[in-house]
Amino acid sequence: MKKIKNFEDVVCPFCGTLCDDLKIILEDNKIIEVDNACAIGTAKFFSSNVSEHRYTKPMMRNNGKLEEVTWDEALNKAAELLANAKRPLSYGWSSTECDAQRKAVELMEICGGVLDNTASVCHGPSLLAIQDVGCPTSTLGEYKNRADLVLFWGSNPVHAHPRHMSRYSDFIRGYFRVDGHLDRTIIVVDPRTTHTAQMADMHIRLNPGEDYELFNAIRALCRGVELDVKEVAGVPIKQIKELVEILKSCKFGVLFFGLGLTMTKGKHRNVDAGISLIRELNEHTKFNLTPMRGHYNVSGANIVFTWSTGYPYSIDFSKDYPRYNPGEFSAVDILKTNDFDVTLIVASDPASNFPKDAVINMLKKPLISVEPHKTPTSEMADIVLPPAIAGIECEGTAYRMDKVPIRMRKVKNAPEDCMADYEIIEKLIEKVKELKGE
Amino acid sequence: MGKIELTLKKEPTFSLEAESISPDNFKGKTQKDIANLIIFHGNEKLTLKDFFDIKGTAGNNLDEIEIVINGNLSKVKRIGEKMSGGAITINGDVGMHVGNTMNGGKIIVNGNAADWAGAMMEGGELEITGNAGHYVGAAYRGNWEGMTNGVIKVKGSVGYESMIWARGSTPKKRFPKLICGSAGQFLGLHNHGGIIICEGNAEARVAADQARGFVVVKGKIGRMMPSFKKIGEVSEIELPDGEKISGKFVEYSGDHATSAKTKGRLFVAK
Repeated sequence: MKKIKNFEDVVCPFCGTLCDDLKIILEDNKIIEVDNACAIGTAKFFSSNVSEHRYTKPMMRNNGKLEEVTWDEALNKAAELLANAKRPLSYGWSSTECDAQRKAVELMEICGGVLDNTASVCHGPSLLAIQDVGCPTSTLGEYKNRADLVLFWGSNPVHAHPRHMSRYSDFIRGYFRVDGHLDRTIIVVDPRTTHTAQMADMHIRLNPGEDYELFNAIRALCRGVELDVKEVAGVPIKQIKELVEILKSCKFGVLFFGLGLTMTKGKHRNVDAGISLIRELNEHTKFNLTPMRGHYNVSGANIVFTWSTGYPYSIDFSKDYPRYNPGEFSAVDILKTNDFDVTLIVASDPASNFPKDAVINMLKKPLISVEPHKTPTSEMADIVLPPAIAGIECEGTAYRMDKVPIRMRKVKNAPEDCMADYEIIEKLIEKVKELKGE
Repeated sequence: MGKIELTLKKEPTFSLEAESISPDNFKGKTQKDIANLIIFHGNEKLTLKDFFDIKGTAGNNLDEIEIVINGNLSKVKRIGEKMSGGAITINGDVGMHVGNTMNGGKIIVNGNAADWAGAMMEGGELEITGNAGHYVGAAYRGNWEGMTNGVIKVKGSVGYESMIWARGSTPKKRFPKLICGSAGQFLGLHNHGGIIICEGNAEARVAADQARGFVVVKGKIGRMMPSFKKIGEVSEIELPDGEKISGKFVEYSGDHATSAKTKGRLFVAK
């Protein structure tokens, strides 16, 4: 007799939207149905079932091949590498829960290493801009109930955050937005005609990499300054003026921005200009902004690192106290300049998305990967420690893109003796302390 | 006259945190004391003598101390941090943060400098004969006051976001100044009274978000900010520190994105 289990209101550990209304059906510890989730979230739940893509036992490289070993062997070797390292680097941490992130800070502090999370290649620039010029923001619930103008700039939620528009920003009915979609104006600023742009009421198609110029032109026009130029970033002044009128006359506006701003020319300065625009619009109406965070708990990584060290990412512990400087202590820069001797990658896959020379350097030195699935990083690693998947196989807290903490549930057991990320790191801490004689 | 010479004898594997190399830290110390000054190599606490051959002594008079450093110092960071007098001559490329937050004395780099050279300088002089990296004379993360006084001269190019958040004051006679050969984007971003002279071309977004201050570009600007407005043409510029530059320039006011009545000025060669 097969045992069927139903779970309701499950939180989805995929993107920063952290949908919390999923239904999961389990048959003998195997997920057989996922309801309400988007295609990406569904795929993540199914990926937790044991398959050829999933590690179930710790592995260590022997004569160039990854071979199964015991937990003790793998953990001892990893701890030895970290304890003896003069400049260890730890990167990732955004696709796991907050307890593991808390342990990450402790481990890197003991090792005197560099700690970075995936924000450094995604919304890190947003954080830099926020540190420079502040951030008027609110929760997604407020936007749902109040926002009559939604501006997506350099972000494409239809594909990156598939349920964002139906849960918070477009189709959903809110307290003051009783007609949902019909009660909102959607504006998309994007060089491409994305699927989000196709659904928008207005699409500003600017030249790629000229967002900064457009922001500052809008800001000047908001102040009533007549500009000398006829078009900015390929957008005619007439259209920009039209946009300014819409922005100023809304009741409650919100800017959602994505990597189109943070990872194109200008980076944190694009966001800096964006925030300055929002600040100025608040002299005319109510306007807020929220970054469209990618990984489900990258926001949590920034928050946990900040409350324990003072800084959200790119933290150096080499002098026993935390120091912060993206560009100097960020993972890509550390790898590119060969300023490290061991890497510990947790819940991330830099080998697929870092610059080539950074990856080549990373693979030349010992690499420890804590990762449930086979990825280019883990397949190249010297030690693979397979964890239980947070939010599916163990509980934990994650922060949504608007910095609201949500408790994730456990719906199934991890395969064999896989431990939670925080347990693995806890064991590493114990062993490193022992080796260092602390 | 206290002349002291350091020669790099071993290339560091990781970056070397050498904020202990400054006239202020060497003052009144014997050669042995200087050799035992702490230097961080990764998470290892080592001493100056582990990496440098040391000759000479520093003496007791700060302003007479001259430190000469030789070798490829591209992994050596923070030389001359917080120095308040004396001189440092670096023969070779130097790593990040050279002369950051210094408030007096002079540093000459005969080579290239990495990022953050002269960041948040409060006084003194920093001269780089080669190119400098990003964030020359810039404000550190989250700071609203960057360079407040002093002069940085870079013969070659400076990278992105140089001299951002500069904070000068005519009544207090503080004139932070950057002179560079050419510049990457965001030169003089968020300028509040800094003086910048770019002898060659500047990439884009020059003086963006400038509230007040003077930026002079003697070459061309790749892409002008749309929020600057042309005022007229001038044949001589008088800078607040008294320096005069003659030549035909177009004068712009801006950045109007930050204020409709901005006091910021941008001059571009005609």
